[in-house]
Amino acid sequence: AKWHMPTPYGDGNLPTQIAYDFANEIKAQTNGDLDITVHSGASLVKHTEIPRSVKTGQVQMGEIFLGILGNENPVYKHDNIPFLATTYADAKKLWEAAKPAVAKQLDKDGMILLYTVAWPAQGLYSKNAVNTLADLKGTKMRAYSPSTSRLADLMGTTPTTIQVPDIPQAFSTGIIQAMVTSPSTGVGSQAWDYVNYYTDIKAWIPKNIVIVNKRAFRRLDKATQKIVMDAAAKAEAAGWTKVVERAKKDTKILIENGMKVTEPSAELVAELKAIGKTMTEEWKAEDPKAVGDILSNYNK
Amino acid sequence: MSQLKEKLYLCSGLLSGLCIVIITLLLLAQIIGRFIGFIVPSAEDFAGYALAASTFLGLAYTFREGGHIRVTLLIQRLSPLPRQIQEGVILALSFALLCFLSYSCIYMVYESYIYNEVSYGYIPVPLWIPQVPVAVGMIALNLAVLDALIMALRGKQPTYSTLEDELSLEEI
Amino acid sequence: MDMTWISIILAVAMLVLLSMGVWVSFTLIAIGGIGLILSENYQIDLLFATSSWGASTAWSLTALPLFIWMGEVLFRTRLSEDLFKGLSPWLSGVPGKLLHVNILSCGIFAAVSGSSAATAATIGRMTLPELRKQGYSERMAIGTLAGSGTLGLLIPPSIILIVYGVAAEVSIARLFIAGALPGLLLVCLFMGFTMIWGYLHKDELPKSTGKKTSWSERIKALRQLLPVLGLIGFVLGSIYGGLTTPTEAAALGVSGALVLAALTGSLNINSFIDSLLGAVKSSCMIGFILVGAHFLTLAMGFLGIPSALAQWISSLSLSPMVLILYLTIFFVVLGCFLDGISVVVLTVAVVLPMVQAANIDLLWFGIFIVLVVEMSQITPPVGFNLFVIQSLTGKNILYVAKAALPFFLLIGLAIVFISVFPEIVTYLPATMSQN
Ligand code: NA
Ligand code: NA
Repeated sequence: AKWHMPTPYGDGNLPTQIAYDFANEIKAQTNGDLDITVHSGASLVKHTEIPRSVKTGQVQMGEIFLGILGNENPVYKHDNIPFLATTYADAKKLWEAAKPAVAKQLDKDGMILLYTVAWPAQGLYSKNAVNTLADLKGTKMRAYSPSTSRLADLMGTTPTTIQVPDIPQAFSTGIIQAMVTSPSTGVGSQAWDYVNYYTDIKAWIPKNIVIVNKRAFRRLDKATQKIVMDAAAKAEAAGWTKVVERAKKDTKILIENGMKVTEPSAELVAELKAIGKTMTEEWKAEDPKAVGDILSNYNK
Repeated sequence: MSQLKEKLYLCSGLLSGLCIVIITLLLLAQIIGRFIGFIVPSAEDFAGYALAASTFLGLAYTFREGGHIRVTLLIQRLSPLPRQIQEGVILALSFALLCFLSYSCIYMVYESYIYNEVSYGYIPVPLWIPQVPVAVGMIALNLAVLDALIMALRGKQPTYSTLEDELSLEEI
Repeated sequence: MDMTWISIILAVAMLVLLSMGVWVSFTLIAIGGIGLILSENYQIDLLFATSSWGASTAWSLTALPLFIWMGEVLFRTRLSEDLFKGLSPWLSGVPGKLLHVNILSCGIFAAVSGSSAATAATIGRMTLPELRKQGYSERMAIGTLAGSGTLGLLIPPSIILIVYGVAAEVSIARLFIAGALPGLLLVCLFMGFTMIWGYLHKDELPKSTGKKTSWSERIKALRQLLPVLGLIGFVLGSIYGGLTTPTEAAALGVSGALVLAALTGSLNINSFIDSLLGAVKSSCMIGFILVGAHFLTLAMGFLGIPSALAQWISSLSLSPMVLILYLTIFFVVLGCFLDGISVVVLTVAVVLPMVQAANIDLLWFGIFIVLVVEMSQITPPVGFNLFVIQSLTGKNILYVAKAALPFFLLIGLAIVFISVFPEIVTYLPATMSQN
């Protein structure tokens, strides 16, 4: 069979590279019987249309940023609660805790979860050095979702909506003075051209997930299904290892290009932890049963 | 009857124009909001929905006014009878195509409705709502093409074609 | 079926439908549908709906109808007349005279708008009627507009540079700065050509009054430009002063135009509705063609024709200069049938690795891409500037394409220039990194 797999991000990104490896592995294992074409950088389907395309079988499989599903069900939001899981080990643990609920919800929508690839932990980019939250007071921070908007509020900044392509100009012209995003995104957009400071606050570790249409998957014979699932497990394992190297490498590139990269002060960490607690509570209130289960699994 | 039709075509154009005004107001609100410190939630989502609504709701009006462009270089040289046949044939083909497209858009609205699809931004908007204007606009275009097809079959010159000819007269 | 045959069938089918007089947007959708059937993909209904919804709700496109509306509003004021009155004492001695207004206004407006179609539509709405009234060669008036409208893509801000920057992970800020000098180069090439043409075709220009204009008259005439310059300055100022993003700037442009219209007494409920309906006619036409182009692009993605072609070029392992020549031809041919931005999106994953392997600077390549996409805006049958100008003038796209041909060649010449002197592109961004 010939399958198509749209992905949202370009070839320079880790998740896309893993997607190519995944497709090659399956092609080799099935002797070319299952040939998956990866269409990177949203070149086939726009990012926000990928879930629908997979759900309705317009494409057999696809990759999405898990966060864009947040409005559909609170369980997807585990992916961007700040200061809940700030190390890769914790992020993996949180994913294990949330996975059953996520897989169940996807299954209900006619999709099967294949694997996940984490992004490097989100850091704070700012025009000026940040030792405590007081340094940010009154500045404008980029927000692109309800949770980033709430985060900006709690950090004492004004949330400001800016689309990704407008970020460099927004910093240069002073529309925003701060944003929270991964070192990879900073490298991809050459952040040193428009912003000076990077504080490695490790706010949260978001993930991409790869999903397959249930009917398309069931049309495969048992042996091929197993090959796909094995390749998925391999891709997920590779993702968790490579993301750590990638985070190190990208942070180094930020330093090499003259950005001032610092660890957060103890005081800042304490302030941020308090914000994390508030936001976790608020998240729990959205669906006490489902979210409560995830949290108790995670804290086990 | 024909007066009602005129009004419907104008209505298609005005609704589309209204959506352009709405986009302008949304963007202005966002600029002002950023200046004095409030967020217009999901402004870019709503601007996108208004853009889709504007594009589709105005299709029928634009068609009728000869606004959808085509290559008239060859067909202008046809003598009246072959020209009439040519317009009839392409209108029949277009009508068939648009019936299919209308069906596709209606089905999209239906699917968004039964799947409870919501938008990804600040405000979770049920997607079938902003998709309704897309389907409505497509159906209106479908009817406009049918209207022109009926005119052509009756041996009259479709309105869009008269307007195209006026434009070419203006050139000389 | 063999991919070569599929490509030939689709190209021939497109040309047949277009020459039968089928509307451009309908043709693109039909060809997309045929392409999907040939790729053995039968969910055409779902794919059409998804791709159209995605294409018509794109945030980057929201500026387009607003700029078109802005042109419609300004056209109904005295402003376009003032623009000519202010510039004519300065340009009356220059061969080609007021034809340069097209080039200069497009160059300036390009600093506000990120798209080629919006630039051609807004400026053309103001200048074409006036140039016709004054008796300028229609063909040159159309040609200069079609050519310099494409500056909207090269002079920052630019939609295509953003698309390329995100795909190639090249700094968008640097790309924007890199576009400035090549933009000036194009303006000079266009004006130089227009001067030579004007020198050779004095009979196709209005008769010169013979009277010399004094400097004081010239300075006085400049006052007429104040409202237009004020409007552009206001929009540019709000972008670079940090009040607004380039997309949102379109809303300021339209509001400013409405305020100017109100101040000069040319705004009433009728002219307001007329301007809006005029904008609807152009923006629905372009919007629906974009929907069709997006659907055709989707079919091309499934068929893999553009990436197969790119892979073929890659397999030739050419030297950098020959590679650039091949890629230029490749983009121009594809750009005849698909819109330029789609070509970039569809092929960037295959093209970039071979460009990197040939040691070509990715920043330079971004500007090269913009230049070839500019060329594709004025090649038939699918060229957005041709569509815009056909709807402004009623002239057939083939006529417009013929009028634009010299400018197509001039953009080609600009590619030769930047290939021989890459510093035209890289000089400004390099000074940026020294800071
Ligand atoms: Na521009
Ligand atoms: Na073209």
